[in-house]
Amino acid sequence: MSKDQSSQPDTLSSADRSIIDSSVAAPVILFFGTSIFWLLFGSFFEVISAIKLVWPCFLDGCGILTYGRTSVVSINALAYGWATPAAIGIGLWLTARLCRVQLAKYKSLMAAGIVWNLGVFVGVAGLLIGDNTSITLLNFPAYSTHILLLSFLLIAVWAIVTFNQRQSGTLFVAQWFLVAGLFCFPWLYATANQLLVWNPIQASAQPAIAAWYEGGFFNLWLAPMGLAAAFYLIPKTIGRPVNSQHLSLIGFWSLLLFGAWSGTNRLIGGPLPAWIVSVGVAAGVLMIIPALAIALNLHFTLEGHYAPVSWSPALRFTVTGVSMLVFTWIFTAINSLPAVNSVTNFSEITRGLHLLGHYGFFSMTAFGAIYYILPRLTGKEWPSSALISWHFWLATSGVLLGVCVLLLGGLIQGFALQDIGLTFRSSIEFVTPFRFVAALAAVLILAANLAFALLFAGLHWAILRPGTAPALIAAREENTQEPVAV
Amino acid sequence: MNKLPLLFTGLFLTFGSAWVGLVVYPVANLGKMQPLPDEETNGYFPPTVSGLAIVGQKVYAANGCMECHTQQVRPDPLATDIAKQLGKRQTVARDEIREHTPFLGQYRIGQDLSNFGTRETDPSAIHRHLYAPKSVSDWSNMPSYSYLYENRKIVGQPSAHALQGLTGAFAPKPGYEIVPTQQAEALVAYLLSLNQNYPLPESPEPTAK
Repeated sequence: MSKDQSSQPDTLSSADRSIIDSSVAAPVILFFGTSIFWLLFGSFFEVISAIKLVWPCFLDGCGILTYGRTSVVSINALAYGWATPAAIGIGLWLTARLCRVQLAKYKSLMAAGIVWNLGVFVGVAGLLIGDNTSITLLNFPAYSTHILLLSFLLIAVWAIVTFNQRQSGTLFVAQWFLVAGLFCFPWLYATANQLLVWNPIQASAQPAIAAWYEGGFFNLWLAPMGLAAAFYLIPKTIGRPVNSQHLSLIGFWSLLLFGAWSGTNRLIGGPLPAWIVSVGVAAGVLMIIPALAIALNLHFTLEGHYAPVSWSPALRFTVTGVSMLVFTWIFTAINSLPAVNSVTNFSEITRGLHLLGHYGFFSMTAFGAIYYILPRLTGKEWPSSALISWHFWLATSGVLLGVCVLLLGGLIQGFALQDIGLTFRSSIEFVTPFRFVAALAAVLILAANLAFALLFAGLHWAILRPGTAPALIAAREENTQEPVAV
Repeated sequence: MNKLPLLFTGLFLTFGSAWVGLVVYPVANLGKMQPLPDEETNGYFPPTVSGLAIVGQKVYAANGCMECHTQQVRPDPLATDIAKQLGKRQTVARDEIREHTPFLGQYRIGQDLSNFGTRETDPSAIHRHLYAPKSVSDWSNMPSYSYLYENRKIVGQPSAHALQGLTGAFAPKPGYEIVPTQQAEALVAYLLSLNQNYPLPESPEPTAK
């Protein structure tokens, strides 16, 4: 283990680092900028959908804005417009930095970024006019998913070329997650689209594949990409190596194995062979293992060095995001138990866990990474630390409020749906107050995203007075010994 | 674990194992399922659905009905779906073979629809429900699909397809009528076809204990 460098942050000089950073600046900024647009777009549609759930008469009787369309537009715009390009942007930057390669040819990446956004635009427009495949997270019509896959293949080719040119022999933990995400996503996306959207197979075989994709999209794409950022940023900002090589190995491989098998735990009692559901239940419960291994590993890394979490935006968002990931997997494990699932399935709990995973974990971690990356790419500082603070508290309170009411409301709704003595009407009446608060939470999240978009715009076009010093969101403590990269 | 080949081998094995189990296996087995012949009527289980109902599946998908309605009856004793009369037996893979996409759904924001065609057999009642859900039950949180209907002036004879029985605020103005578009007709045909009340050996009806 003495030669193992995989838990050490890189040891480049800052001059080398800035040369590498500036070589990826244009495509990474393109991916981040467009993803922030779709973030606003998706969370705006989420607010519309959340209001419609409470007041069905809101914007009623209009085909384009019926609930069934606004809610899928919101989920898909957030998944493919925001989360995926943000993950790609983080991936590009981390690849260049950790492989210590500067990029001569980034035009193919720019093309990929533009083509990707074209695909998302076509897909969202398709959903609004009613070309919905009605498969969760694969709602985009076939003509847009061809475009998306083409764009991703351009990126994958670039990533493989860069990994082959890499200057550093060892693979840092963050790179394991990076390779895993970039390896799994095209396989997942191409398989699922081919079998469910382009040339659909007989419907009796589709539920298993749809569930496999939906689980894989989070556990094998968003989770590894978010964790790649976390396993780079956390050691880097506090200047300490990742605590335990063994915990890293356990966390990584258990995530890959159980994550790959855990999709079908959402079809308990569904029209599938019993063994497929049982494997999904077992894998879903075993997700406790990566949750604990990753949480403990990062906690031991941070132990005694938690102070920078209070002033570094990157660290604060990342640590919040990873802790929400741990809760996502623990709640998912509980929700995978058949006795629990028979009550909670089909209730708002499903929506609550989606919010916790996709926004609470992935978006928060991506925010943290973008707070770290963009000043280094552009050489400019974030314009307002107060606004960063607003962003953090609005996003955190929005997620926590939303998840709490959806889990509690979902539990009550689930018991009402299950109880033979209660009518269906009761389940709606019990859950409506919770949906009202969930709509407020959606508004908080939209406000948080607006603050973030404003910061991004301020950094770029100097709308706000550009910052001259790193934006710290709290006074830095004088007595800390280690140098901290903000 | 510092070598790329080692990493790729591990990824290939972990990810590939689930791919074989959850993708290749269903394609090779469940994907080749056939309907069962019914000797009494020379028909099949599940029965063939009409062309209009197949068009209706697309309307169902286009408007995101699946965002609020499930179409799966879970078995006893796991769930109380059968006791709540959502269906007489568990939904199984063979029930899906006529569909283009199985609309299993994730949320019961609205009622389960697996056997909607057995609960509601009157097309004009379904049209009224789609056009103005609150005219059927005032507590309903279903959106109105009035955009699938044409509100037009009566010229000459009133249309035979026009919606009947709309009262109060939901009724058309005098001299006007509400006529379903082809999409609405197809959607109703699809909803009427939702019926799993046929026997399948792999999904016996639970007997009273």
